[in-house]
Amino acid sequence: MDDRLLLIAFGAVVGVCSGLAAVALYYGLVFMVEHLSVLREHWWVFVLPGIGMAVSSLFLEKVVREGAGHGVPEVVYSVSRHGGLLRLRSSFSRLISNCLTIGSGGSAGPEAPVIISGASIGSNIAKLFSLNERQRITLVGCGSAGALSAIFNAPVAGMVFTIEIIMGEWSAANVVPIAVASVAGAQITRLLRAPEVSFTHLSFNVDLTSTLASVGLAVVTAAVSIIFARALRYSHHFSDKIPLPVWIRAFIGGCLVGAIGLMLPGVLGEGYHSIGKMVEGAFAGGLGLMVLLVAAKILATALTLGWGGSGGIFAPCLVIGSFAGLMYHRFIDLLWPGLSWVNEGCYALLGMAGLISGTMHAPLTGIFLIVDITGRYDTILPLILVSALSTTICHVFEPASFYLRDLIEKGQYLKPRTDAKVLADMSISELVEKDCRTVPRNMLLGDFVKVVQQSHRDYFPVVDENTGEFQGMIHLNDIRPYLFDSVMYETVFLEQIMKINVETVDIHDELSDVLDRMDANGLFSMPVVSSNRFVGMISKATLLDRYRNELIVQTQH
Amino acid sequence: METQMLHIFRNTPLGRETLLQTSYFCKHLDILPVIYIPRYLKFLMYFENEVVQVDLDSSYLRSPDTARDHALQIVKNMGLPEPKFLEPKHFTASTLPDIPVDYDFMSCPRSISDLTSKIGLGYIGPRVRRIVHSARFPVLIPSSVFKPWKSLAVLFGGSANAVKTLRLGMRLSSISGLPLDVFTQEGRRKRGDYENIIQQEGLNTEMDKCVRNWRFFESRSLAENLYEVPDDALIVVGAYGHGLVKELLFGSTMEIVQSICPNSMLIVGPNYRALI
Repeated sequence: MDDRLLLIAFGAVVGVCSGLAAVALYYGLVFMVEHLSVLREHWWVFVLPGIGMAVSSLFLEKVVREGAGHGVPEVVYSVSRHGGLLRLRSSFSRLISNCLTIGSGGSAGPEAPVIISGASIGSNIAKLFSLNERQRITLVGCGSAGALSAIFNAPVAGMVFTIEIIMGEWSAANVVPIAVASVAGAQITRLLRAPEVSFTHLSFNVDLTSTLASVGLAVVTAAVSIIFARALRYSHHFSDKIPLPVWIRAFIGGCLVGAIGLMLPGVLGEGYHSIGKMVEGAFAGGLGLMVLLVAAKILATALTLGWGGSGGIFAPCLVIGSFAGLMYHRFIDLLWPGLSWVNEGCYALLGMAGLISGTMHAPLTGIFLIVDITGRYDTILPLILVSALSTTICHVFEPASFYLRDLIEKGQYLKPRTDAKVLADMSISELVEKDCRTVPRNMLLGDFVKVVQQSHRDYFPVVDENTGEFQGMIHLNDIRPYLFDSVMYETVFLEQIMKINVETVDIHDELSDVLDRMDANGLFSMPVVSSNRFVGMISKATLLDRYRNELIVQTQH
Repeated sequence: METQMLHIFRNTPLGRETLLQTSYFCKHLDILPVIYIPRYLKFLMYFENEVVQVDLDSSYLRSPDTARDHALQIVKNMGLPEPKFLEPKHFTASTLPDIPVDYDFMSCPRSISDLTSKIGLGYIGPRVRRIVHSARFPVLIPSSVFKPWKSLAVLFGGSANAVKTLRLGMRLSSISGLPLDVFTQEGRRKRGDYENIIQQEGLNTEMDKCVRNWRFFESRSLAENLYEVPDDALIVVGAYGHGLVKELLFGSTMEIVQSICPNSMLIVGPNYRALI
């Protein structure tokens, strides 16, 4: 079967499965919310998110032993480093833990869990059918797109998010199966449930004044995005330092979220209900309340995700963004009461796009998500402005998106078809040149000259004749003066003229590090030494030759 | 290229016996031990087509302050050069390191995830089975108590994978200089059929050179006949499973052997690529 047709067929299957996972999560959340709502009248209800988060973290740590984060970075890491290999348990673990977290009132989104679930389904289907690495990565993308498309009923946003964030590249071979998976996921959700976030019945008349005013909203959403991203990181680092078991930390964090929720219930859960009211223009409250809600939602989400709850930042971005949009609308309305502004719901939508673009550095996802959920292009001009500007401003203060920052800092994010990716896909063991002749340290120069005559190499590793340990190197350039002085042939031993403290390479070193060291020290080749034993030489010439071959392989598709 | 063996060190008396066995194996086959002293209870191994999560039992984290010294002492006392200590470079999550899989051998106790008290004959843990199933390298499953082995015993069943196992056995025998015995349980195939396989694979000369004794079990079951395997032999056995039914029955011979023989075993999985 043709490779592209095969991937399209598998993409459809993975899209359907991911869509079903998203629907299962949706009904799980509905079930939890319905059954826990009777408890909302009690004074002690603030402990509910604490219990939910504690059980969620216990489930992840003790039952399924996941030991990983919120989802999206793990998927990106697996695509980037390990050809899209994901554990089977990831296809269901985050769905259950997320259900416990959000269902009990934790402030998080269901998107990241459903993305890792879909991606894991794609990865394991690829494994089941013994597909190759490239095909597996495509199916991971299909799973992610199908899942996101299903949870939002937003096929274009699902596809664009996957290509912008998960895959990191647009390629014809990937786009078609991912698009098919996205359609399959959205279709499953349309068949099995009513979409929660859909505003196709609304229309907005956006005039020039409102479009120009959206520039200010871009600045506001960028600032809020930066605060949000930093709050999430700070909260995570702070809770890591608390010497308590992870489930107790989760319980404390959840109780704090519950306490915030007692005063501002709008911050609890994934917040789709609040989004609906804001976009419909039915959300009451002045400027002060809006500022408070933005701050409270940021705090609640940071406490939920940083202290051990399970979930993603997609839905919180939408909620905070719509609060920020409304806040901005109230503010400009206060400044220029005489001017007629577009409906405040439009600003809520623009705020959502601004937050997604700013926090995730994914402007196209922001734009197409709003187009998907409104089903029209009324807001497209300010939408593009807000998304593009918010991303640009955030990029100055936060050079990497929230999802990728940790991976980039640890050097674990390898964008496809980049220098780092090509180098990471090669190993030193593939490049070692083993045709080097070692010479003992007590060899006389005269004997060494005979060795040189029979060798085509300039480098000679010197080893201890008894232990076999690597001692140093001799390069012909370094000893040229002695080579032509026959008087020294019987008096000089190699240990007297060899270079010691030579820069060496370990067989498991990263090639990018090796190249950096070669550049820094002006070297063209280095000895590979393992446990003090000489293994071979690695040279720039061989490396670049293999690099080119690898690059050709990676850019073929 | 230097041959390396990965060993996950457990700083307990059982871990000591396991590392003694690994060191003995390395010494006889001129292999460098690479020791990983876990700092987390989980790690991932990304194989070619599968990712295996290994959840260690809590004894692997015991006395981290003495673990390195203990491991070093055991290896040095065996007369080996200083081992390499593995420090993971990549992490799937902050407490979930990735362990490289490009080694030539790995040493594993029968179970890596369950409490030491539960480990006994008759049980190979699911993680160890998955490692055997996915790895390109053979896995050494040491006996519970260190016992030097003085010969190699290959269980040869005639399949293509069994031929790979036999080749490995012959290679190990020639490196270590230890005698090699081959044991075959006759079933539908008879002695002549096995000899034909050896001839077709062009192993006749090597068999004559390396193999001390080729025993055929014509009657009784494999379980009964395993009594004939020397108590001081390292058993080299294949664990295969291709196709749906075979996948379900993966490693059934391996299970029989390990539940009956207290010997150390070297298990050759279906994805083994001859590296040595």
